[in-house]
Amino acid sequence: MPTKMKERELTFSQAWQRYGTLGILVLLLVILAILRPSFFFKTSTITQILSQSSVNILIALGEFFAILIAGIDLSVGSVVALSGMFMAKLMVSGTSPIAAVLLGVFMGALLGFINGILVNSTGLHPFIITLGTQAIFRGVTLIISDSSAVFGFPASFSRFMAQRIFYVPVAAIIAIAAALILAFLTRQTKLGRNIYALGGNRESAWYSGINIKLHTLIVFVISGICAGIAGVVLLGRVGSAEPAAATGFETYAIAAAIIGGTSFFGGKGKIFGVVMGGLIIGVINFGMNLLSVSSTLQQVVMGALIIGSVTLDRFVAGRK
Amino acid sequence: MKNVVKKFPGVTALDGISFDIRAGEVHVLLGENGAGKSTLMKILSGVHKPTSGEIIINGKAFSHLTPYDSYKNGISVIYQELSVINELSIGENLFIGRLPMKKLGFFETVDHSEINKRAREILKTVGLNRDPKTAVEELSISEKQQVEIAKAIAADSKVIIMDEPTASLTSSEVESLFKIIRQLKKDGKGIVFISHKLGEIMEIGDRVTVLKDGGYVGTKNISDITQDDLVTMMVGRQISKNYQHENFDFENEPVIFEVVNLSRKDNKVRDVSFKLHKGEILGFSGLVGSGRSEMMNAIFGAEPKSSGRIFIDGEEIKTPSPYSAIKKGLAMVTENRRETGFFHNFDIAKNISILPFVKTSGAGGISGLVSKKAEAQWADEQRERLNIKCYSTKQLVSELSGGNQQKVILGKWLAADSKIIIFDEPTKGIDVGSKSEIYSLMRRLADEGKGVLVVSSELPELLSVCDTIAVFLEGKIVKFFSHREATEENIIHASTAQESEET
Repeated sequence: MPTKMKERELTFSQAWQRYGTLGILVLLLVILAILRPSFFFKTSTITQILSQSSVNILIALGEFFAILIAGIDLSVGSVVALSGMFMAKLMVSGTSPIAAVLLGVFMGALLGFINGILVNSTGLHPFIITLGTQAIFRGVTLIISDSSAVFGFPASFSRFMAQRIFYVPVAAIIAIAAALILAFLTRQTKLGRNIYALGGNRESAWYSGINIKLHTLIVFVISGICAGIAGVVLLGRVGSAEPAAATGFETYAIAAAIIGGTSFFGGKGKIFGVVMGGLIIGVINFGMNLLSVSSTLQQVVMGALIIGSVTLDRFVAGRK
Repeated sequence: MKNVVKKFPGVTALDGISFDIRAGEVHVLLGENGAGKSTLMKILSGVHKPTSGEIIINGKAFSHLTPYDSYKNGISVIYQELSVINELSIGENLFIGRLPMKKLGFFETVDHSEINKRAREILKTVGLNRDPKTAVEELSISEKQQVEIAKAIAADSKVIIMDEPTASLTSSEVESLFKIIRQLKKDGKGIVFISHKLGEIMEIGDRVTVLKDGGYVGTKNISDITQDDLVTMMVGRQISKNYQHENFDFENEPVIFEVVNLSRKDNKVRDVSFKLHKGEILGFSGLVGSGRSEMMNAIFGAEPKSSGRIFIDGEEIKTPSPYSAIKKGLAMVTENRRETGFFHNFDIAKNISILPFVKTSGAGGISGLVSKKAEAQWADEQRERLNIKCYSTKQLVSELSGGNQQKVILGKWLAADSKIIIFDEPTKGIDVGSKSEIYSLMRRLADEGKGVLVVSSELPELLSVCDTIAVFLEGKIVKFFSHREATEENIIHASTAQESEET
């Protein structure tokens, strides 16, 4: 009897790890389709969910790596705002959109680099460092923008960001491309493997020749780059750079990563799960808007979802 | 204590130990690492529950003690890692858990003046000349220890157990500790004194009980015996298989690994040099903390060294980090599998492939792609070579037994084709069957021309496996023994600085 039970538990836990998030996503879509069939079965609905989720997915992709090494990056929202503001300033002052975008993403990388250097040199937990840089980066955004929004980008930029290729918005294409590249990184490269090792057991990683500081730095740079790209996408969607843009987005990013099965204790998680997590949050947001749930209540639902999914994750992980 | 047995999963830590403490005596508990001293102590302090047997305190029998029972019945334990609270004052430490209170209106508050008054009296008895209001973090280690003893007195303990109290004391501090112990004896306290240092035991002890491998060897009056008797009791006689090749003259073989004048800034390793010949297995003995593992960590680049040169096949190598050491062919099977050995989030194949992947990567270990094909091949090779028992190399390492986990860890180093393999306590927590497998394997590796270095606290292990045994004492190698001349007795003598007048 006991062995039989054990087998069942094992398969349940494996099934959950593989299809759990996809299942939740499908379930949510089905609920939505039943409640509002007229709205749901329209291509515009799908593209809207995709384009709304893109920013969150992009940020979450970076956040995933920070959590994967048993750390966290609370500064991502501020990095989105600062690199977006930087880009906007460049564009309105006449820099070509392509150069501005590249420099903006570079700014994201630089901010991630700063996080990484601070984590490495102080030895403090990334929570503390990025809590600090969250405020610092936001403050710098306010300073360089003079606390006011920047708009009036070149038409070529706005046009490019607004297009759809085979009904798929550019924002979603960027997010998918980033996810594919990072999935390749996690699955096929030694760098990716080392990051999982570092997240699973820091000490063992050190004794296995993995340069902990270098990998930590790379992780924060990846997180910064993803937030920088998210900044581009947000700029294209909103059409202006707000100094308070992306405030609190780190919560959604963390939630997406965790709902997607990333272990908060490090070393476990998949890019596919993060994309699912980001879509789940996107669908919930969209669905609540569709059902005219008040924005305040939306926060409550989101919070409950984060706690619920992490509890489930621990429960399932602890069953073996 | 009568017939106390303690079993941990897979291991019998204590096998029918009887032990008594009389008022006004110092009863020494002696034994090698792993003999069962700390387990015995933890049963008395209520940390562990004995599997069977009973504990009788002043005629009252217990099947087990809770920490509260232990405290209430007058047992105090002073651990080697002192448990004083640095942030509190001396006085607060003495009465922690039962601070005297005073009424302040509706509230009760801590009565600091009462604490300090009572603390001052107790500190006098242990000869600590300090204001009770002083924060404990300002005290030296020996002073903290005095606070611990004072704490035991404040709790009105009848039995005070001291776990290697002299381990980190200077000789003058040891003298003043002994003075306190003698005073406590006069006051009718029973003292259990755990130590490795035979000289001290002869000086302070009244009776001695010797444990070996969890078993009871005997209890003697100190006045009836000599230091040599103690060593014989500790060692006992046990026949084990030997893995050395008879008549193998490694001295004529080339030196494949050499360390010259290695030191660490923290002085845990001082000016250590040794050579390893092809085919030779070199073991490192010594007490825990004598510098063996510390030296290996420095060689491997896991912890910093201040000076020293390292040679593989006559060529000097630099090892500022494990990465550079691994690149040069060094391997380290660390003491603590769970913490520094394997990755619990990886399956067997990934645990094994991490090393060859890292070794063949560039740019400080970040460049390159993983190959699933190579990974599967490495894993299968090592599974076969090391006889790793698993149903698939996709199985998680955390599901394996200790012995098989150790084989996986060894497998990752072999897959990376390491030249020099350092084993730090290679059979800790491993069953007997896997132990002998690992010993044969070490010999096979040495025969294949790999360098094998072994740090172990288990003397029988070193004696049956190593061709040469280096003995560490206080950060230095004090003696090399060839396996023909090495015995448990002379190694213990050398590692406890109890070398008699022979030399």
